[in-house]
Amino acid sequence: MSDIGFKIEQNGIARLTFNLKAEKVNKLTSKIMSEMSDLLKEAARKPDIKVLIIDSGKQDMFIAGADINEIDAISDPESAIKVVTRGQHIIHQIATLPFLTVALINGPCLGGGLELALACDFRVVTDNPKTKLGLPEVNLGIIPGFGGTQRLPKLIGVKDALDLILTGKHIDGNKAVKLHVADKLVNTVFRDQQTEDFAVLMLHEKQRQNVILSRRVRGFLNNTTIGRALVYAGAKKAVMAKSKGQYPAPLAALKVVRRTVGLHIQKGLDVEAQAFGKLAPTQISKNLIGLFFLSEALKKNGSVSAAESRFSQAAVLGAGLMGGGIAWALSSNGIPVRLKDISHDAIAQAFQAASKIYGSFVKRRKLTKAQVTSKMGMITGTLDYGGFASTDVVIEAIPENIDLKIKIFKELEKEIRPDTIIATNTSALDVDLMAKSLKHPKRFVGMHFFSPVNRMPLVEVIPSAKTDPAVVQAICDLATKMGKTPIVVQNCPGFLVNRILLPYVNEAVHLIQEGLSIEEVDKLMVQFGMPLGPLALADEVGLDVGIKVCQILESGYGSRMAIPALFHPILLDDTLRGKKTGKGFYIHTETGKTPNTAILALHRSDSVAKPSKEEAIDRLILRMVNEGALCLEEGIVKNAQELDMAMIMGTGFPPFRGGLMKYAQERGVIAISKRLDELAEKHGERFISAAILRKDEPLWK
Amino acid sequence: MKFKERIAIVEGVRTPMGKMGTTLAVFEADDLGAIPVREVMLRAGFGPKDIDEVIIGNCAQPAHAANVARVIAIKAGIDKHVPAMTVHRNCASGMEAITTGANRITLGESKVVLAGGVESMSNIPFLYRKEMVVFFTNLMRSKTISQKLKTLLSFRLKNLVPIIGLEVGLIDPTCDLIMGKTAENLSRDFFVTRSEQDEFALRSHQLASAAILAGRLQEEIVPVVLPPKYSTTMVEDNGPRHDQSIESLARLKPYFDRKVGTVTVGTSSQVTDGAAAVILMKESQAKAEGREVLGYLKAYEYAGLDPARMGLGPVYATSKLLDSCKMSLADMELVEINEAFAAQVIGCLRAFESKAFSQEFLGKKDKLGSIDMRRLNVNGGALALGHPLGMTGTRLVITLLKEMRRKKKQTGLATLCIGGGQGAALLLEAN
Repeated sequence: MSDIGFKIEQNGIARLTFNLKAEKVNKLTSKIMSEMSDLLKEAARKPDIKVLIIDSGKQDMFIAGADINEIDAISDPESAIKVVTRGQHIIHQIATLPFLTVALINGPCLGGGLELALACDFRVVTDNPKTKLGLPEVNLGIIPGFGGTQRLPKLIGVKDALDLILTGKHIDGNKAVKLHVADKLVNTVFRDQQTEDFAVLMLHEKQRQNVILSRRVRGFLNNTTIGRALVYAGAKKAVMAKSKGQYPAPLAALKVVRRTVGLHIQKGLDVEAQAFGKLAPTQISKNLIGLFFLSEALKKNGSVSAAESRFSQAAVLGAGLMGGGIAWALSSNGIPVRLKDISHDAIAQAFQAASKIYGSFVKRRKLTKAQVTSKMGMITGTLDYGGFASTDVVIEAIPENIDLKIKIFKELEKEIRPDTIIATNTSALDVDLMAKSLKHPKRFVGMHFFSPVNRMPLVEVIPSAKTDPAVVQAICDLATKMGKTPIVVQNCPGFLVNRILLPYVNEAVHLIQEGLSIEEVDKLMVQFGMPLGPLALADEVGLDVGIKVCQILESGYGSRMAIPALFHPILLDDTLRGKKTGKGFYIHTETGKTPNTAILALHRSDSVAKPSKEEAIDRLILRMVNEGALCLEEGIVKNAQELDMAMIMGTGFPPFRGGLMKYAQERGVIAISKRLDELAEKHGERFISAAILRKDEPLWK
Repeated sequence: MKFKERIAIVEGVRTPMGKMGTTLAVFEADDLGAIPVREVMLRAGFGPKDIDEVIIGNCAQPAHAANVARVIAIKAGIDKHVPAMTVHRNCASGMEAITTGANRITLGESKVVLAGGVESMSNIPFLYRKEMVVFFTNLMRSKTISQKLKTLLSFRLKNLVPIIGLEVGLIDPTCDLIMGKTAENLSRDFFVTRSEQDEFALRSHQLASAAILAGRLQEEIVPVVLPPKYSTTMVEDNGPRHDQSIESLARLKPYFDRKVGTVTVGTSSQVTDGAAAVILMKESQAKAEGREVLGYLKAYEYAGLDPARMGLGPVYATSKLLDSCKMSLADMELVEINEAFAAQVIGCLRAFESKAFSQEFLGKKDKLGSIDMRRLNVNGGALALGHPLGMTGTRLVITLLKEMRRKKKQTGLATLCIGGGQGAALLLEAN
């Protein structure tokens, strides 16, 4: 069987059907493109074909895009241009066929898949919830290269086209018809017949003209030079706000569209190819592609169906904000949850937290009020352990006090079945120590959610020495079912993300003690690509909470993790707790925040020179790199890839840099260790480089 | 109907009861009903597939959730392959759910039945008058402009006055009397004075208040965090007035017979929202599974009577029940008679004690006996707590069994009067 089928039916309808036998998804490899090209040439010579329908032999899948591996292999602009020009030609063959062409889109139709469909005369989409259309190329640091930047703006106008091209977002079948990306919506089950009916209808001149007329791009913004200028300016502003200018692809795509509006298709395609050629070989694109593959691989860490058969009822100990967030993540994914706390008010607080998150979905019309009522109904509260015998997992989220936790676990174990999993949500407490207090430690595991639960995709799963591996897998499954990405991390103070992140916050405080301003330090890191500066981040988390974890790290790792002197006076002042008290490194008001310069007066390092910007950046980032390297050495995490993903999802480490360890690898591992040695000489042991940085070996393996 | 093998009531819970238009008004009947169903399953340790059938009593069946039992079952997380039906026997619907469930278990059709009752009296809709419905229909049928105009001109403003669903629901169509009027009939038949009714209502409030303050009712109540803000939790019934005085009851005007009547809103049960649920199985199964159960259903009877005197339903039903169990009223260590109206409960008490009544209406030689007030409705009744029609039957069973456990009593009677002229009586045992 071939990967692409071709047959002509008696009524003059021909079908070209994609079905890559060796793959789960259809993608436009260069091999399949060649095959298609030959078939199209052959078809063009057949006089009995009236209409060609291009569809897919796979269930719920049209064409997911070009072959990303081939894009990843591109190393220079010339070969990039050669690859896309060839692709453009083959796709353009469709547009020049002597008969009508209809793309029947059922399932994902993304990137190159959509570009192929756009070259057809007509597009039919199904009402399948899995049908989604989009041009996600910018997310991989490139732009659509098979004519997407040309055909989409012509079809639907620059305004809507840029909205799709610059964000990479997906639209469903209904929306595709509404935007005129597609011409007709058909019933998923009866799609073949309904598409043929449509195709036959299009053979009639008048009907065809009606459809084509209905597509006519309307509006001042699309049809006038001034209107388009406004669209471009708005689009650029939106791109800059989102990417801070650190991602070149959307800007390049915007430039291509702007330059080619009104140009002949062939000239436009050339411009597109040139721009693609510049982007494809860049390190940023390689980094983003690497992360794409990594996130696909990480999806295998947990299984939704396994979670569904293992967990039919969950419980959360300790309501409050975190408990409410966890209750939301469980109930919204179909798992009923029992909340236990010591007062009705605490339980109500969790209900409020969950309801608030649900409210944001109603506002964005992702859920209806009735759906939310049903989902909120899955959350129940209790002051005693009533109902705990039915629960398959208990997620404990009480305050971070190990004695209290151990006391609660002793109570809890009497109330639950021996096979009920106990997961402790802790950011820094010793999981092995807690496990020792349990009668059945095999079912006990750490499960570290990041706050706010609804926005942070990462969950660190921390087995103790005694945890049953099946329990670790079950909790990874549960996290996946909750819409999170689980990463297994070995037990150590701070686990993975906090252990790496907090030295960086400590270093930021050292820098302001040495004379850099609060704003300067934060700005340097925002420019580096972090979503928030370290000091602003500390304020968000709450200084008391943050410093407490820093102290745990200090007692765990000794003097290299010593907390900076400024933290001591801060701890003594209850008004300095960050955003929640309105004052920390910044003074927070309703309108924004201004640096709290008074805090600098609490401690100042003696007679040191003010560090340079370049040194400041290195001190901040390399402390993370070095701690990450130590984690790899100690086997805290499976590999550098998972470490990098954890930092991206847990802290917002900039994806365009490819990851923390990837960044170090690109800069050169040896260069990094040398720089660390220099810093160690100047600032002491906290910069002593990890052994694996002194070996000349890649960190990503 | 006496069961050969008793039916175990494994566990039972209810929501707090909220006066119409207050705390629980935000819940439609289906959402309200799902709360105790989910809770009773959790408390008793039953999973979504451990139930064979769901039976829920409900009177004012909501338009948006026909067969509300099915909607409740799904919303409460019960497996979608478990069937569900709604039952309706007016004020006894919550009992009907239990007795129907018990019968199905006895027949072997189900092993485990989740039974319950729900009523959201706050959400009983207002209805359009017939004239208005005809107007709408004509308007839809009018095709031409002139037809449409003609229809529009037929509109009369008075057609907009709504029919209050709750009010018409409480009028018995067989005798054309609103329930309160049937209580007035009992007041006349049994010489129940206004002050006797007020005293009885006061007693109900005082007993309910004491039960709440002592935390007794909390044992059966699942606290409800109240949407849409979720900032408060309702933990107790809001009907009982802890400071109720006889003077303020005495000041109320008669409501149903405004000229010469005796029944006031203070001596009528409150209009209230609430839901309750229990889990039922055979005694032998409960024992085999080693379950600690709330109690057992030993026997039940329903009886019919003059709709205009429906309040005497408990007397007729209890008479039948005592016959089928070969027991006497004195054997009932604790009794719950639903307090639809003070005049109605007092009327029942007098009928129980009347030889003449027994001979004329029950075909018995002697009176049924008297009920010691220390055994009757010891934690207050519907006059104070409220009477969510479809829910009350289930609540009485739960309240009575919990009290029997606390007081270590073996035998209890739960009985209520039913609009339309019926009575229900259940014989419950603790051990």
